[in-house]
Amino acid sequence: MTAIRLRAGGRPWRPGAWAGSVIKTGGFGLVIGLIVWETLGQTLRYTFLPPASRVAGRLVDLVTSGQILPALATSLTNLALGFAISLGFGIAIGLGMGVSRRLAASLDPYVNALLTAPSLVFAPIFFSIWGLGRQSIVALIVTYSVFVVIVNTSAAVRAVSSDLHEMARSFDTSAAQTFRWVTLPAATPLIFTGIRVAAARAVKGMINGEMFIALIGLGKMIQDAQHQLDATTVIAVLSIVVAVALLLITAIDRIDMRLNGWLPRTERGT
Amino acid sequence: MKSAASEATSLDSSGRSGAGRSFRPQSRRLSVPRADAVLYPLATLVVIAVVWEVGAVAADSLLIPTFTETVTALGALIFNPRLWEALAISNQALIVGFTIALFVGIPLGLALGRYRGLAAVANPYLTILLTVPMAGMIPLLVMSVGIGFEARVLMVFLFTVIVVIVNARAGVREVDPALIEMARSFGSGELQLWRQILLPASVPAVMVGVRLGLSHAVTGMVIVELLLVAAGIGHLILEYQAFLQPGSLYATVVVVVLEALVLISAANRLAQRAAPWLEPATR
Amino acid sequence: MIRISGVSKTFSGRGDLLDVPALRGVNLTVGDNEFLTVLGPSGCGKTTLLRMIAGLIPPDEGSITVNDEPVTGPGPDRAMVFQAFSLLPWRNVLENVAFGLQVRGVAKAEREDRARRFVQLVGLAGFEQRLPRELSGGMQQRVGLARALAVEPTVLLMDEPFGALDEQTRRLLQEQLLRIWEETRTTVIFITHSMEEAVLLGDRVAIMRPRPGVIDDIVPVPLERPRSTNVDRVERSAEFVSITSLLWERLRDMQVELDRREDPADDGSRRGTSLAALGGKEGGE
Repeated sequence: MTAIRLRAGGRPWRPGAWAGSVIKTGGFGLVIGLIVWETLGQTLRYTFLPPASRVAGRLVDLVTSGQILPALATSLTNLALGFAISLGFGIAIGLGMGVSRRLAASLDPYVNALLTAPSLVFAPIFFSIWGLGRQSIVALIVTYSVFVVIVNTSAAVRAVSSDLHEMARSFDTSAAQTFRWVTLPAATPLIFTGIRVAAARAVKGMINGEMFIALIGLGKMIQDAQHQLDATTVIAVLSIVVAVALLLITAIDRIDMRLNGWLPRTERGT
Repeated sequence: MKSAASEATSLDSSGRSGAGRSFRPQSRRLSVPRADAVLYPLATLVVIAVVWEVGAVAADSLLIPTFTETVTALGALIFNPRLWEALAISNQALIVGFTIALFVGIPLGLALGRYRGLAAVANPYLTILLTVPMAGMIPLLVMSVGIGFEARVLMVFLFTVIVVIVNARAGVREVDPALIEMARSFGSGELQLWRQILLPASVPAVMVGVRLGLSHAVTGMVIVELLLVAAGIGHLILEYQAFLQPGSLYATVVVVVLEALVLISAANRLAQRAAPWLEPATR
Repeated sequence: MIRISGVSKTFSGRGDLLDVPALRGVNLTVGDNEFLTVLGPSGCGKTTLLRMIAGLIPPDEGSITVNDEPVTGPGPDRAMVFQAFSLLPWRNVLENVAFGLQVRGVAKAEREDRARRFVQLVGLAGFEQRLPRELSGGMQQRVGLARALAVEPTVLLMDEPFGALDEQTRRLLQEQLLRIWEETRTTVIFITHSMEEAVLLGDRVAIMRPRPGVIDDIVPVPLERPRSTNVDRVERSAEFVSITSLLWERLRDMQVELDRREDPADDGSRRGTSLAALGGKEGGE
């Protein structure tokens, strides 16, 4: 059966059965991966590849003993602060740039430059201003995620159909009314696309920042583990980081569904 | 009749008074005139420079250079052979890592796009690789390949390959199934299908992946040097930081940003030539 | 009464694109409670004219008055129905219909009440809570119509409202529009490509010629009202057929003339017959 499906390639199969088998194969793939990992880990005995069972054990240990809690709390606080600031400033500036051509012209080159540049390079700069500590890390998280929000938000505003704007004008709406009742709701789906990407980037910023500054949070745990050549802890902590990111994105998706359920089917999704 | 949208430039909200809103220019779509596209960012730069200067002077810290100090240091830096040596070292890893990532990522991505079974198996791993902060992999990197050139190449590779794979996959996935069916009805075998339909149709998406990959590659290059390897440009930054040369530190950061920009616009320019219907990638 | 005198509009070309003379010296008077249809090939400026009456764009020359008030922008006395429906996809039917009222500042309870009446009028009772994506094209356009009617405008401006719909839906909506109009008797200016539609719905048909846009002729439609009760009979009547033929003659002549203008080799021998318009003629160069 699998052979036939492989050859059929891009052609859609019976959706229900197909979906079911995809899930099974996905999970199946993970299981196979885990088995391979475990085997290699046990046999090869590389320092950087501890067996899956040991990592799982360490993971459970970290969680149940509460050892991970202070670091997790610190990191999550940094993340929350940084992400919130990114969203606040990002959406505001993005909306402004979407509405005002002048503002867009003024800021475009800088936003795009900072978007493509490796954000970690600004860590020494924040360090020079705020030294070691939360502020620097939060600033870095903001740097990682705010520009994505800005770009997506301003694009979302500009993508609002001119048909809708014309309709609103024909009813003699004021600029404020048009913005509130037409532009904003219409732009929300695309804004959420940006928010989703920004969330992943914020998590990266959090870890990178904490590893660079290396005094607090999950990043510190990773750095410490590295110095002790403790790959098991590194992987365990990374798993937690990935879990945090996935949870955050799932939460965003939930809110997205609530707010943007009105979208016709073809436009749904990233 | 979309022609009305073009009237904005000739429209002027003349002093016609009357009840309600008068004819407002329907000019949302247009961008500013070309001269303004340069003037406005320049004006912003002036504002930034002034705020920076004032802020730095007020902060009066050894660690925070003023705008003028930074610009001076930038000037000096450009003529400093150490900068160019550092850039050379960094970019070697970039070129090697990036190229390997393309050779591995593009075929893999294409295959994942076509063969659903493979894709289903690989999906969870891709999601994980997309979300995990690559910097966190550095310790594992250290423990496996040490801290030399290979480590940096591997880092660049890891940063780049995911984006390349995902975009190549999308390129194949989005090929109109009707085209595939059509080719099959004419008796195309798998190889011909690839040559005649799948490969040409997926070129634009693959190009997007290449450009995004380049951007990520630069990031990977810098990150590994800042966090680990103490070579190249990252090393230079750390050195200026350690030796309290904030002007040069900031200037080097500017150089890195500029390099990223130059590489990306070069990539965009090339892609424009190859596939003129694409828009520049911004993520 | 709507009076359009000497209206001209040129869209300036950007860069090295030529200026587009969309309208030149258009004169037109629309009487109260009249249903005027505007017919013409693409690019004749009919949509531009409509948008000027709506107040969305200003004329370069000339003036437009509605009940002797000059048009300087959009206003409560005019409402538009769009070819692309332009419903707000995140609002349900009731909220969409209430949109114009909300803009005017009517309180929620009252505007929803009033909106409900018009939802019923267009035959969508029971669908108030549905979202646009759950509606067919015909239903969406009925929402658009209800929205425009809800603000009780002096003039209803309809921009090829059935152009995006399939044949069957179009015919049903034509019938429905006639029925609704026979009840409300709002003044309507209705743009269309279709001669049959123009004659079926209108009291008069204004034919427009492109490049530059002018009113070529105005053809009265003396068919009896109400027409909604037996559309088939109306469409098969001799009068209907002769008026539509006349319109087609005019449009075909127009097209030939246009082609001839573009083609310098043509000596004009292909020019079609020109029938005298029945009744009064307004329009001009």
